[in-house]
Amino acid sequence: MLKQEINELLTQTGPGTPMGDLFRQYWIPALLAEELPEDDCPPVRVKLLSERLIAIRDSDGRYGLMDEFCAHRGVSLWFGRNEESGLRCSYHGWKYDVTGQCVEIPSEPDERHSSLCAKIKLRSYPLVKIGDVLWTYMGDPARTPDLPQWEFTRVPAGQSYTSKRWQECNWLQALEGGIDSSHVSWLHSDGLRSDPLFKDAEGNKYNLADRKPFFEVVESDGGLFIGVRRNAEEGHYYWRITPWVMPAFTMIPPRGDHPIHGHFWIPIDDENCWVFTYDYHPVRPLSAAEVRAMKDGKGVHNEFVPGTYRPLQNKDNDYMMDRAAQKRGETYSGVKGISMQDASLQESMGPIVDRTKERLVSTDSGIIMARRKLWRAVEALRDEGVTPPGVDVTHQAVRSAAVVLPKDQSFIEGCGDALRVRPGEKHASV
Amino acid sequence: MSAQAAQDGHPQLAVPGRPTLLSGCARAATAAEARYRISYPGGFAQRSSRVIALGAQAARAVRELGGQAWDGGHFLVFESAVPDDALLRRVGGGDTALLSEELDGADAVVLVASAGASAEAASVIGDAAAARGIMSAGLVLPGGDPAGVPAAAPAGVVAALRPNAMVLVVLRDAADVPEVLSALRV
Repeated sequence: MLKQEINELLTQTGPGTPMGDLFRQYWIPALLAEELPEDDCPPVRVKLLSERLIAIRDSDGRYGLMDEFCAHRGVSLWFGRNEESGLRCSYHGWKYDVTGQCVEIPSEPDERHSSLCAKIKLRSYPLVKIGDVLWTYMGDPARTPDLPQWEFTRVPAGQSYTSKRWQECNWLQALEGGIDSSHVSWLHSDGLRSDPLFKDAEGNKYNLADRKPFFEVVESDGGLFIGVRRNAEEGHYYWRITPWVMPAFTMIPPRGDHPIHGHFWIPIDDENCWVFTYDYHPVRPLSAAEVRAMKDGKGVHNEFVPGTYRPLQNKDNDYMMDRAAQKRGETYSGVKGISMQDASLQESMGPIVDRTKERLVSTDSGIIMARRKLWRAVEALRDEGVTPPGVDVTHQAVRSAAVVLPKDQSFIEGCGDALRVRPGEKHASV
Repeated sequence: MSAQAAQDGHPQLAVPGRPTLLSGCARAATAAEARYRISYPGGFAQRSSRVIALGAQAARAVRELGGQAWDGGHFLVFESAVPDDALLRRVGGGDTALLSEELDGADAVVLVASAGASAEAASVIGDAAAARGIMSAGLVLPGGDPAGVPAAAPAGVVAALRPNAMVLVVLRDAADVPEVLSALRV
């Protein structure tokens, strides 16, 4: 349960809001690199943190992210021409470079060009390609942090795959699904047996045999580690450990030698978010079959309405609910696929769930602690200018893990370095 | 729908098949429909939680918390184990009660533990809660001088609580305890 004012504090991320200011301390995923595939390609309209922006890749391969609307008459630059190292408004030909600087006003007499242009600059943000993702930083340039170091973006090409999907609800209720380990035994119980990116892992037998796991939540420098333990062989527990790094990064514990996967939950506005979904293997290329499965929407990916980033299963078609499959035991909720099983339920809560009415129980402790840490960080930033956890790139060097440990050992001690990135070393998985 | 429509986040531009039923998800999940969710002006039946301190620092924290307004939770400090039971001291009144009496009608037990918490105490309470089907959670306070920089939670306390609490939260800041209890509607 949250007070209404705290719910609003954590869910509103537009300009000038405390949570929006917090998000603007980080490099965040803005687009997939595939959306700007070549120089002078069509511009892409993108909304982030309730700001309408346009992304371009200019003639020289430079990326830019700027105000969507021309300074002249407020026309959308999506209709513009991306050519000759800039984006030209189709209405009167005003032209902007990747920094948002106006570089041409062709309708004005020549002698006025330079002085008038120099005074016109659209708000813009840096846009940087790291891995398969284009990242932006929307905060104070003077506080620009080091570029992100997430492992999935730093492994060699061929070892990772990233998709994104539009989710029609506030970012926080989507994120909370990523750290809510207690729903997995129910909502996703079908996936362990059938999904090509999960099945046949040794650890799955523990999941399927023990449906009443215990939970342990430990704070980390960047956020939380959420450990879930189930009974294993005599005297041992099977642990699955999910890291959350503030504000919006989660990583699912691995299964066998399958790739590791997770998400970024990025606000579009207060009622929509982007879910960036990554899969990577620390030490080997993804196989063709694995990439095919990801593109086909298996694992934690999903199928799309062709040509879009909207899930094929969405609220307009009732997520293709299949009651017969539910009755046959093929899916728990009747919705196919892990990501859409989550999204369908999270969207059903409404655009912004009213947390004053919820009835949390102790297995929701990971969610409770995440909210508390966000709230504390928002206040520390607002009141004292404290840089929040997760900005420091050392906080980003985390891994999830799945391990079997003696019963008397804490997962933090037992995992040791397994919860840290170790370049070139395999992840800890059962 | 175009990729750009999806980027733009406009559902009305992104509809491959308009919902035809009032019960369809597209309509049911809107903010407008949220107005018609049934409200419970008096709330659901009040929870009956027991917050029990184990260890001196935890006892101080729980005594302080017990002086605040809560949603019916009982705040107690573990005193000693007695045969097949435990003796608890009630915060506020200062009288004692048996654990078995306090667990009658309880639906959640939250152990607040600090350095000095005994494994025996955690076991007695954990076993009693489990036998009654009562959810148990543990909050482990950070170590260190109360007036100084907090240290990591004592490992022995975490180990003592692990078998006896279905959920264990290892805190870096004792100031989070009231927020966690508030979220659980103690």
